[in-house]
Amino acid sequence: MTRPRAIWLLPGALAALPAYHAAYAVQYMSVAESQHAAFADASEFAPVALDRAALDATVAAVPESALGNDWSPKVWQARKDGAARGWFIVDQVIGKAEAITYALALDVHGAVLGVDVLEYRETHGSEIRLPAWRKQFVGKSARDPVRLDSDIHNISGATLSCRHVTDGVRRLLALHAKALKAA
Amino acid sequence: MPMSTMPIRRARPLLGTFVDIRVDDAEEARALAAIDAAFAEIAAVHRLMSFHAHDSDVARINRDAAREAVTVDSRTHEVIVLAIEFARASAGRFDPTVAAQLVAWNLLPRPCDASLPDPAADWRDIELLADGRLRCKKPLWIDLGGIAKGYAVDRAIERLRDFGITQACVNAGGDLRRIGSGMEPVHIRSPLPPHRPICALLLGEGAVASSGSYFEWSQCSGRGVGPHVDGVTRGAMLPDRAVSVVADRCVVADALTKIVMSDADAARSVLDEWDAEALVHDSRGQQRIVGRAA
Repeated sequence: MTRPRAIWLLPGALAALPAYHAAYAVQYMSVAESQHAAFADASEFAPVALDRAALDATVAAVPESALGNDWSPKVWQARKDGAARGWFIVDQVIGKAEAITYALALDVHGAVLGVDVLEYRETHGSEIRLPAWRKQFVGKSARDPVRLDSDIHNISGATLSCRHVTDGVRRLLALHAKALKAA
Repeated sequence: MPMSTMPIRRARPLLGTFVDIRVDDAEEARALAAIDAAFAEIAAVHRLMSFHAHDSDVARINRDAAREAVTVDSRTHEVIVLAIEFARASAGRFDPTVAAQLVAWNLLPRPCDASLPDPAADWRDIELLADGRLRCKKPLWIDLGGIAKGYAVDRAIERLRDFGITQACVNAGGDLRRIGSGMEPVHIRSPLPPHRPICALLLGEGAVASSGSYFEWSQCSGRGVGPHVDGVTRGAMLPDRAVSVVADRCVVADALTKIVMSDADAARSVLDEWDAEALVHDSRGQQRIVGRAA
C-alpha cells in the first residue's frame, strides 16, 4: 500500500478546546556554533563591553521594538591571530507573539555578513507585554515559567512577520556606527 | 536512511518571515552546506520577487512593463506563469495584480517611479512573451506575495536534493514542504485567539500552506483591511477564517489557500484540478475538509 500524502487529525470544533497557554520553542544554534559559522577562521572571540550611554543613545535613535532599559546586546570582536575579522552580536527582539534571539555578523567595516536565528520562542496572549514575561528572555540562564512544547516541529498558519528582527538589525547597525566603528 | 545522524535545523529571517530548514539524513558538514545553499536560493527568490525592493523583477515590471517589454529571471517568469494559471482556474479570485489595494490600505509601500495602476487592470492584462519577457496591456502593480513563498520553499527543497538530501523539511512562515520517509505531525495555528497550534495532520511527502489574516487585520479609513484581497470583489477577506491546503508542491498549496479563502465551495474544482485538499476553519471555529479527502 502506498503511503498517503497526508492524514488529517481533526479535533472538531476549535472553540471547544481548552485555552491553555501553549508555547513553542526551538533552539537552532548555540552562540558558539553561530560564531564559528559566521567566522570559520577566527581564533578568538573577544567580548566587548558597551557603556550604557552608547546603548541608550542607540535606542533613542532607532526606537523600533526596543527593549528600553533592558536592552543589552552581547558583542564580540572576532579575531584571527590578533587581527580583527569583524563583529558578532547576539540580541533579542519580541514580536507579536514571539521572542527571538538572533545573531548578527558584521565584517570589519560594519557590513552585514549574515543573520541567524539562535532561538525562537512563541507564546500567545497578553503575557508577552508583561515586563516579567519579557525578562525571562534576557540571559540564557533565566528560569522559564512558560510551558514549552518542544515536540512541535512544524506550525502552519498565518505568517508571523520578521519585521522585529529587521528593526533589531537596523538598531545594531546604528550601535556599530556609534560605539564599535572606532573601537 | 542512516539513523546515526542528528537532525540539523537552522532559521533565518527571509521572505518577510522566518524560514526554518531541517535536514534529517546527512552528516553535519553536508547538511550545513545544503542548508546554506537552500537559504541562498530562498534569498534569491526574495530579491527577485520583492515588492519592496526598488530593483527586483517585480519592481521593474510595475515601473516599466506597461511601456515596454521587461526581461525577468526564469524563476520570476515561472511564478508569473503559475499565478496566471491560478487566476484563470479561479476565475480571477486569485489575482497577482491586487497590489494597488494593499498599497491603498498601507499594507504595501507605494512603488517609487511607477505610474498609477489602471483600476480596471487585472491578471488578463499581463502578456507573457518569448525569451522570459513580459508586458502589461495597462499600468498595473503585481505582487507575488500570495505565491512566491511557496515557490521559494519548492526551490529550497530542490537545492537540498542537489546535495543528496532525502529527508528534510522547509517551513517558510507556515508554508512548508517535507520530503522523505515516514510521516510527521504538522500543527496548524488556530484562527481563533489565542491562536494556539493544534496538531492537525500527519504529513508524508508533500506540502502544506495556511492562510489567515488574524495577525495582520487592521483598520484603514474606517473599515477592516487585511493582507488577503479577493481578486473579484477587490475587498479584504475577513480575519475570522483560516484555510490550510495540502498539495504535492508548496507553490500550489500557497496559491490555493487564497482561492479557498475566497470561496471554499467554488474552489472545489480547482482543488481537484491540482490534486489538493483543504481544511477550512470557519468563523465559529468549526472545521471541514474540502477536496479529494472529503
